[in-house]
Amino acid sequence: MDERLQKALEFSNYSLTITNQKKNIKNRINQIRIVHYNNGVFFADEQTISFIKTLIDLEHKSVVLIDTKENPVEVENLKELLNNLTSAYFSATNELNAEFVKIKKQRTVKQIMDW
Amino acid sequence: MSKEKGVCFFAYNNEQIDYIKLAILAAAHVKKHLNVPVTVITDEGTYSWLKSSHDIGKSSKYIDDVVITEDEMQTNPRKHWDSPWSSFNAPFLNGNKHKIWKYSPYEKTLLLDIDYMVRNDFLNHSWDQYTGVCMYSQACDLRNELPGSRERFLFDAGIPMWWSTVVYFDRTEVSKLFFDMWEHISENYDYYQYLYNFPGKLFRTDYCVSIATHILNGMVSGDHINSFPNQLINMDQKDDIVEVRDNSEWIMLSNDTNEKWKNILVNNKSLDVHCMNKRAIDRHYDKIMETVK
Repeated sequence: MDERLQKALEFSNYSLTITNQKKNIKNRINQIRIVHYNNGVFFADEQTISFIKTLIDLEHKSVVLIDTKENPVEVENLKELLNNLTSAYFSATNELNAEFVKIKKQRTVKQIMDW
Repeated sequence: MSKEKGVCFFAYNNEQIDYIKLAILAAAHVKKHLNVPVTVITDEGTYSWLKSSHDIGKSSKYIDDVVITEDEMQTNPRKHWDSPWSSFNAPFLNGNKHKIWKYSPYEKTLLLDIDYMVRNDFLNHSWDQYTGVCMYSQACDLRNELPGSRERFLFDAGIPMWWSTVVYFDRTEVSKLFFDMWEHISENYDYYQYLYNFPGKLFRTDYCVSIATHILNGMVSGDHINSFPNQLINMDQKDDIVEVRDNSEWIMLSNDTNEKWKNILVNNKSLDVHCMNKRAIDRHYDKIMETVK
């Protein structure tokens, strides 16, 4: 096989593997960001965290929120929910960062698999 | 008096696959990550095999209860794959899965397939989260891609597919309705196949639960049956496991269905996997077991 073609195919295989590996990590991270609270399901993203913080700043005590499944959820303790969301968010981002730092240095399929 | 909560597995051996052996492994995963009681539902023959061929003392560390059934089940021949290059035929005994309503000793039950490996505690949220029934309605493969259209809809213009791989239920009226409906569909499978136009000769409980969900939702999309907020990850029968590491990492081969000589390597860490290639699990059985001891 032409050496240039062989190198290109090797790089193609590497790209496919690393792209899938990044998706895999994001899949795991997104699961960490799911927060179950009072029979509702929330996603720990910047928007939700900011919104809850705004409600706390506006001195709301108990509110009804719409969760990710579009169901109303009564929240009696906004600070507790905010803590759960930020905790999930930072667990996820710290893990994502650690994995991405690791993966950035890997230049071959073997390295991606840690062989 | 029934127990509060637990996980159930069905395991009926055939001449090709030692389902009870896989059930022990799946139960060990449940014990490690969910830490709840486990019940295995099986028949006399399989249970005798467990006692004679596997270490019953060891298995009782993971399996708390065994329910012996005497259901007569129709032969359901299925072609299994072990990589794209090897296949074998074996009967698939799943005709009584709806009877979990009767067999489960728990108030709140997670019914898992024996090839579903629990690798984190996410499903522990189910116990307090859902009322009625909850299943997966979204799935992806090892490449994080959606399954083929026939695994997303019962046919091209059909109803959405739900997966019976993981079924959570409590003892509410809605759950009872669901399992009664599932039983009715099982008993009239040919009629529902004609009505819903799904393909194949294999009796699939995924189709039964999809139709039951559709009917209970009033023949439209609805949310009377809950869906898990994450995706079911399917390892295809043509995929393989290459290496199992101590830190919950599995290195797997994901096969390209269009060009079957091509594979990519996938590193799966701490995510639950529906391992449809049972021979691949068997090849790495001892190592996987070591990681969940």
